[in-house]
Amino acid sequence: MKKNLSYFYGLKNLYNCFQKLLLTLKIALLILICSIQNLSATATYSLNSIDMLQQKTVSGKVTDSQTGENLAGVNVVIKGTALGVITGTDGKYSIAIPDKKAVLVFSFIGYISKEVPFTDRSVMDVVLESAELNLEEVVIVGYGTQKKTSLTSAVSSMQAEKLADDPITNLTTGLGGRIPGLIVRQSTGEPGRDANDIYIRGISSTGSTQPLLVVDGIPRGFQNLDPNTIESFTVLKDAAAVAPYGVAGANGVILITTKRGKTGMPTVTFNSYMGFQNCTVLPKLPTAYEFASLQNAASVNVGGNPLYSASDLRKFKDGSDPDGHPNHNVYNELFDKNTPLNSYSLALSGGADRVKYYASVGYQYQGGIWAPTYQKRFNYTMNIDADVTKTTKISFGINGTEQLNSAPTIPTERLFELVGYATPITPLTFSNGQGGTYVWGDVFQSGKSLTNISQLFTQLSIEQKLSFVPGLIAKGTIAFDPTFTRNKAFRTPAHLWSVDTTKTPYQYIDGIFEQTKPSLSESMDYSKQLTYQASLNYERNFGKSSLGGLFLFEAKSNDDSYFGATRRNYNLTIDELDMGSSDLADISNSGASSSARQLGLVYRVNYDYDQKYLFEATGRYDGSYYFAPKKRWGFFPAFSLGWRLSEEKFMKNIDWLNNLKIRGSYGEVGSLAGSAFQFLSLYNVYGPAAVLDGGAVQAATEGTESNPDITWERAKKTDMGLDATLWKGLLQIEADCFYELRSNMLANPTVIVPVEYGVSLSQVNAGKMDNRGIDFTIGTNYSVSKDLHISLSGNFTYAKNKLLQVFETPTTYDNPNRRITGRPLGTKFGFESIGYFQVKDFDSNGNLLPGIATQPWGKVYPGDVRYKDINKDGKIDDNDITVIGNANIPQIIYGITANVTYKSFSFDVLFQGVGKTSFFGPWGYWQPFNSGRGAWESNMDYWTPENPNASHCRITPSPTENNSQVSSYEIFNSRYLRLKSLSLSYTIPTVVSRKIGVQNAKIYISGQNLLTFTPIINYDPEIVQSEALDYPPQRVISIGINLTIF
Amino acid sequence: MKNLIINFKVIIVLTLLMMSVGMISCKDYLDVIPKAQVSDATLWAETGNADLFLNGIYGSIRGPIDFFDHGDNYTDNSISQYLWADSRGRYVLGIETPGSTSNLQQWSQFNNIRACNVFISKVEASNLDEDWKKLRLAEARFLRAYFYSVLWTTYGGVPIITEVLDRNTQGDSIFRARATDEETFKFIDDECTAIADDLPLIPGTSRVGKGAALTLKGWCELFNASPLKNPDNDKTKWALAAATNKQVMDMNVYSLFPDHATMLFQANNNNNEIIFCKTYLGGTNIGNSRSGLQPIGVVGGIQLSWSGVNPTQELVDEYDMANGLPITDPSSGYDPQNPYVNREKRFYDDINYDGSIWLGYESVYWTGSGSLNELDLNFGGSNRPCTVYHPRKGIEPQFCQNGYNNLSGANWAIFRYAEVLLSYAEAQNEAVGPDASVYDAINKVRARVDLPSLPAGLSQNEMRIAIHRERRVELCFEDKRWPDLIRLKLAETLIPGSVHTFQITKVNGIKVYTLVPTGGSDRAFDPAKNYVLPIPQSAMDQNKKLVQNPGYQNN
Repeated sequence: MKKNLSYFYGLKNLYNCFQKLLLTLKIALLILICSIQNLSATATYSLNSIDMLQQKTVSGKVTDSQTGENLAGVNVVIKGTALGVITGTDGKYSIAIPDKKAVLVFSFIGYISKEVPFTDRSVMDVVLESAELNLEEVVIVGYGTQKKTSLTSAVSSMQAEKLADDPITNLTTGLGGRIPGLIVRQSTGEPGRDANDIYIRGISSTGSTQPLLVVDGIPRGFQNLDPNTIESFTVLKDAAAVAPYGVAGANGVILITTKRGKTGMPTVTFNSYMGFQNCTVLPKLPTAYEFASLQNAASVNVGGNPLYSASDLRKFKDGSDPDGHPNHNVYNELFDKNTPLNSYSLALSGGADRVKYYASVGYQYQGGIWAPTYQKRFNYTMNIDADVTKTTKISFGINGTEQLNSAPTIPTERLFELVGYATPITPLTFSNGQGGTYVWGDVFQSGKSLTNISQLFTQLSIEQKLSFVPGLIAKGTIAFDPTFTRNKAFRTPAHLWSVDTTKTPYQYIDGIFEQTKPSLSESMDYSKQLTYQASLNYERNFGKSSLGGLFLFEAKSNDDSYFGATRRNYNLTIDELDMGSSDLADISNSGASSSARQLGLVYRVNYDYDQKYLFEATGRYDGSYYFAPKKRWGFFPAFSLGWRLSEEKFMKNIDWLNNLKIRGSYGEVGSLAGSAFQFLSLYNVYGPAAVLDGGAVQAATEGTESNPDITWERAKKTDMGLDATLWKGLLQIEADCFYELRSNMLANPTVIVPVEYGVSLSQVNAGKMDNRGIDFTIGTNYSVSKDLHISLSGNFTYAKNKLLQVFETPTTYDNPNRRITGRPLGTKFGFESIGYFQVKDFDSNGNLLPGIATQPWGKVYPGDVRYKDINKDGKIDDNDITVIGNANIPQIIYGITANVTYKSFSFDVLFQGVGKTSFFGPWGYWQPFNSGRGAWESNMDYWTPENPNASHCRITPSPTENNSQVSSYEIFNSRYLRLKSLSLSYTIPTVVSRKIGVQNAKIYISGQNLLTFTPIINYDPEIVQSEALDYPPQRVISIGINLTIF
Repeated sequence: MKNLIINFKVIIVLTLLMMSVGMISCKDYLDVIPKAQVSDATLWAETGNADLFLNGIYGSIRGPIDFFDHGDNYTDNSISQYLWADSRGRYVLGIETPGSTSNLQQWSQFNNIRACNVFISKVEASNLDEDWKKLRLAEARFLRAYFYSVLWTTYGGVPIITEVLDRNTQGDSIFRARATDEETFKFIDDECTAIADDLPLIPGTSRVGKGAALTLKGWCELFNASPLKNPDNDKTKWALAAATNKQVMDMNVYSLFPDHATMLFQANNNNNEIIFCKTYLGGTNIGNSRSGLQPIGVVGGIQLSWSGVNPTQELVDEYDMANGLPITDPSSGYDPQNPYVNREKRFYDDINYDGSIWLGYESVYWTGSGSLNELDLNFGGSNRPCTVYHPRKGIEPQFCQNGYNNLSGANWAIFRYAEVLLSYAEAQNEAVGPDASVYDAINKVRARVDLPSLPAGLSQNEMRIAIHRERRVELCFEDKRWPDLIRLKLAETLIPGSVHTFQITKVNGIKVYTLVPTGGSDRAFDPAKNYVLPIPQSAMDQNKKLVQNPGYQNN
C-alpha cells in the first residue's frame, strides 16, 4: 500500500515538476522578451537570422604565439556542440559553421584554450599561448585580484561551474574534497539547516574556528546563493592572503565571486534538475520478535521474569495481532523515500561595448523526510557594469533570496529522540491509521513552523582611473544587506491513540499528548549590514620591475532587532495572534536589539622584478567594538616572497619543467572569539524570575566577571609553498606546508578559581595553541585522442593542532595520561576498556577473584565491561583515565576528482575521505534500552558465556552504571571514504537541439553521497552529535537538463 | 576643455567616495552600548533597581530535587518505575561517586551564596534608604543561611564565604578550606538569630519574614540534635530545637490550612501555613511541572505523562486507619485483603490506588487486567508502574498533563507550619519526654485530617514512633524524607534491601493482595560514608584545600 502511494507521489511530483518547469519557462520567456526589446536591435535580428547562414565554412591555421611554429593536433570545436575537427601537421583546419553566432574553441594540451567568435570571415588564423606563459590569468584575492604567476600567498581556487549540476541545497556541500586545505563536514541533512561546518586547515583555536565568508568583496554568508550564479570560489589560507581581513582572518577566508555579464550577444541559459533524496544511512532495527526476545533475555539476565510469553513472541513474529503485538520499523514507515529535490535556474547575460549585464532567477524545492518538512528557495540576481566614461566604471548589483522553511513545531532533535522511543513493538500506527507513539503525532499533527527569510545583497561601486597618476585607480563601494526573518509556529494538539486489548473487538481510544489547545509563536528579526569601502589602487610597470599597491578603508556596521509574541490556548484553529485567547496569562511578548561595528585600514604593496623575484607586504589596522576603547585597535601585518625558478637561465632549458615557483609567507592576523563586552562589568536582566509581592517580577544577575584587558587572539602564520607545471600541464602541483601559532588565545579560566567562587569568569587572552600540516593538490590533464580527454586531480590536507597552554586543573595536568596540554584539542579521554569480565574471573560466590582491579560502579557480573587499571593500584578510579580517541574534526581529509570526456559524453566523479577522527557512539542507542529507547539489530550480538567476545556487553534492561562509563568501549573510528558526487552528461548533437529550438542542450544525471566506506554502522559518519539526534544527510540522485536557449 | 570636463567628473566621483568615508565618525563609531545588560551604576542607584538583584536570588531558590525523579525516590517512600532514573539507577544502589551528578548534589548553591554576598556588599556600601536596607539585607542574609543549610545537611561542613570573592585582589585566599560541621551549623544558627528581628512578622507575599528565619533555625537545630550529628544524645541540643520551634508557634502568625487536600494547590499559594516557599508562574519558563510529571500517566487509556514516582507499600502502610490507629494495631480494623477502606483522610488525599477514581476514571493496577497501569515487576521496558500506587498529594487535576503550556503556578513549600509543629513535638519529646505540649502539637496536625488525638500515656519511645510516622505521612512527597532518613540515621536500615508493593491478582473474581518486592533491587547504603554526599569532583579539582568526605576519596 505504502509503496504504491510513494510511486503515486513520485508520479505526482514528476507532474508537478513538469508544470513548474513550464511555468518557469513561460516567465523566463516573458522576462526575456521584455529585456531583449529594450536591449538592442541586433538581438532581435539574430533571432531571425539563423537559417540564412547555414553551410558556411571557415578555415585557418593555428600557431604558437612565441615560436610561431604550426601546432598540430589542436582541437577546434564549435562551442556547445559536438562538432569539431583537429588541426593537421601543418596546423591547418577547416570546419563547417552552423550559424552566425557560433564560437570556435581552440584547445591544445599545454596551451591556453581560446574562444573565437565567428565573424562571417572564411579565414580565421589563431595564435595560442603556451600555458606556462599565461601571465594574465588572475586570481581573486582579498580586496582585489592578482596575476597567478606573481602570487606569493597560499590561495586555492575553484571554478563553480561543476557545482551547478550537483543536486546540492547548500553551497557549502559542494566544497568538500575539492579544495586543498578545506575541511568540510555535513552533520545534518535537514532542509534549511544543512550548512556544512567549514574549517580551513583544521582547528587553530579553542574559540571561534569558522572562516570568514565573503561574497563579491563584502563579508556575507553565501550558503543560500544559487549555485548557477557563482563564478568561482577562492580559499585564502596563509597570513599573506588573509592579513587584509585583519581580525576576521585568522581562521581563513572563503571568497565567492558571482557571475557578471561578458561582452557579447545576449545569452539565455536554463538549467534544471529533478532529484530524489534518501537518507544515506538509517539504523538497522530488529524485528518485533527479535526485540521482544532481546528484552526477555535482558530481564532474565538480572534475575527477573521474561516480559513476554511464548504466545506473545509468536504473535510478534507472525503478525497475527498487529495492534496488540505490533511489528514496526519506524524508519521504513515514518520516513518518506525518494523525496524530491528540484531546481530551476534561468539566466540572461551579455554586454555591449560599455554595458554588461547579468540577470538570473532560480527556484529550488527540497522535500523532507516527512511531509511537514521542506524548503522552497527563490533566488534572483541582477547586475550591471557600465563604463560611464573611459575612466569611470560603475557597477551595481543585487542578489536576493526568498526562502521558506517548513518543519513540524516540535524541534528536530526532539523528533529524533522520539524516533528512538518508537521501538519495533510499539504501535507506531494502529490498523485504523492513527498514530500510537509520540513521534507520529508530533511529526504530522503538531502543526507547522514556517520560517521566511528574505535576504538581499545590494552593492554599488564606482571606480575612477586617476589619469594624473598613471596606474592609479580610486574606488568606492557601498553595500547594504538587509535580512528579514519571520517565523510563525502554530502548534496544534498532537494525538496519541491507544488500544484497549481487553475488549473484543479491540477498542481504540483517542488521546492528546502534551498541549490540548493550539498555541502560536510569531517572531520577526530584522538585521542589516552596511559596509563602506574606499580604496586607492596602483599598478604600474617600470622596465623589468612592476609595482602594485592598495590602500583601503572599510567600515562595517551590523544592527539587529527582534520582536516576538506568543499566545496560548486557542479556541479557534486560526493561526493569527488576534484570534488567540484573551486571558493575559496566555499572552506574552519579547524583544531585543543589538549592534556591531568594525573599522579597518588595509594596505598591500607588491613588487616583482623580471617576474622572477616577487615580494609582497600586506596588512590591516583594525578596530572592533568588542573590546575596551584602549584594547580596540590592532595591527596585523604579513610579508611574503616568491621566486620563480623556472624563469632563471639555468632552468630555462629544462623543457619538461614549464613553471616552478617557491614561495613563503609570514604574518600575524587576529581573531574575535567569545562574546562582545566582556570588558564591562554588567548585569543580565531577565524575567519572569519569581513571583513576589503578588506578581511576577523581573530580575538581575551578575554577568561574567569582567576582564578589562580582553583583546584579540593573535595568529602567527608561516607558510612555505611550491607551484609547478610539468610537461606542459600534464602534471600540475600546488603544495604547501604550514605552521600556525595562536597566542593570546581567549580561554576560559573557570578552573583557576574554586567552584565556590560562584560566578563565571570572562575569557582571558592566555591560551596558546599551534597547528601544523600540509596541503597539496596534484593534477593532470591528458588527451588520449581527439575524442577522449582525461583529467585527474587529487588533494590532500593534514592538519594537526596542539594545545600549548590552556587552563587545566592539577588533577589532569599532573597526570601524564590525562593532561590536556600538549594534546590536540578535542582529544577524547576516558577509561580504556579491555573487553568483558569472563566467568573465570569470579569465584563460586560470584565475587571477583583477588588480583583483578575492582570497579566502583556497583557489583559486576560476567559480561560487564572491564576497564584497564592503568596505574596498577588494584582499583579503577579517575586516575585510570587516559586518551581513548581523536577529536571529532578529522585531521586528514582528501579528495580525488576525475573528469573523462568522450565525444559528447562527460563523466565527473569526486571521492572524498577523512581520517584520524573518532566519535562517541550515539550513547542512547549504542547501549540498548537506554532511557526507554529501543535497540539496534547489532545489539543482538551481546555477551553470554558462549559468546564471550561479543560486540556488546551483557544485556540488561537498562545500561548499568558500570557499563556506561566514558570509555573506549563507546568510541568509534569515524574515518570514511565516500563517493561524494558523480555525474554523467551528454550533449545533444546540434542538429537535434536545433530542432527543439535551442542552441545547445545537455542532459545529465548526477548523484551525491552515493557510496560510503566506513567502519561506522547505523549512522552517517559525518554526524557528530553523540546522541545521534540529527536529521541524516541525504543521498541524492538527479536527472537534469542544461539548455542554451538563445 | 574636454580634459576639464573629465577632471570635473573625477572630482565628483572622488567626492562621492570621500562622502562615504566621511559618513563615519571614526572616534565614536566603535562605541556600541550593549542594550541587553545594565551597569553597576544603574543597578545600585535606586532601591527599585537593586530589588531586581534580590528578585533573582529568590528566583534561583531550588524547588523540588526534581519534578520527574522526585526527591522521595531517593528514599523508602517511593521508587521510580524507570531503571535509568538517578535515584534508582545510582543513589539507592549506594554508588554515588564524586564524578556522578545525581540530582541530590547541591554544590552549585555556592552560586546563590555569591549572589547574596554581592547583594549584601553592594547594598551595605550604598546610600539607599536605611529602612529598605535593613529589611533587604536581612532577607539576603536569610537566603544565604538557607543555602548554607542545604549544603550542610548534604555534605556536612563546607567553606563559609561571607564576602564577594575577588581573584584580582584576594589572590590565593579565594581558596577556602571546609569549616567544621559544628562551625557551619553555628554560622547558620547565628545568622538566623541575628536577622530574625530585622524581618517583619508579616512579610510581603512569598518573601521571607521572621517566621522563616526562626523556622530555618529550628530545622537546623533539629538536624543538629538528631542522632547523625548528636551521637551522644545531648539533650540540650534537642531542647534548643524545641525552644526555637516553639518561638515560631508563639508568633501566632501561622496556622494549619483547613483543607489538607488542596493546601498545596495553586489557588492556595501563600496561605497561612506557608512559611517559606519557591514561587512558580504557570505557563512560563518558571512554571511547576509536578502535576504534569508525577501522577498516574495513563488515564482512561490516554497517555498524559510519564508517572515518574511510584509510592511504596512501606509508605502506604504508615497511613493510619480513620479511627486513628496504625494498621499494625490489632484493634485497628485493618483488613490486609481489603486494605484501602477506612483509612485516614490523608491516604485518600495523597495516594492513587487500585480502584480509586482519578480524573473521572477508575485506576486499575491489578495483574491480568490488561490495564496500561498494570503492575510491572519486570524491570521496566513497558512504561508501567513498579508499585500499585501513584502520588496525588498536591497534584492538581487541571495540570495533569505533561507539557510546557500546562505548567502550574503552584508554589513549592519549603517550610510550612505543620512541619514546625512536628519538629517541636519531636524535639520536645526527646528533650523532656511526651508532655502535654508534645501531644498538643502533634494532635493539631492530626485534627486537621480528622484523626483522633493520640492516646494519653504514651512512653517516650511510643511517642517517638508516633511522631516519626506522623512526620513521614504528613510531609511525604515534599522532599523531607531524605533529610529525615539521614539525620535520624535510619537510611542504613531503610534504604538497603527491597522496597515493596502489593501485587493484586483476581482469584474467582475477588482481588487478592500479596506483598512482593518491587523489581530491580541491588539497594545498598554504606553507613560509613553514605550519610553525606561526596563533594563533586570538579570542586575537588579546582580547590586543593577541600578535603573529600570519608569513603569517597579517589586516591
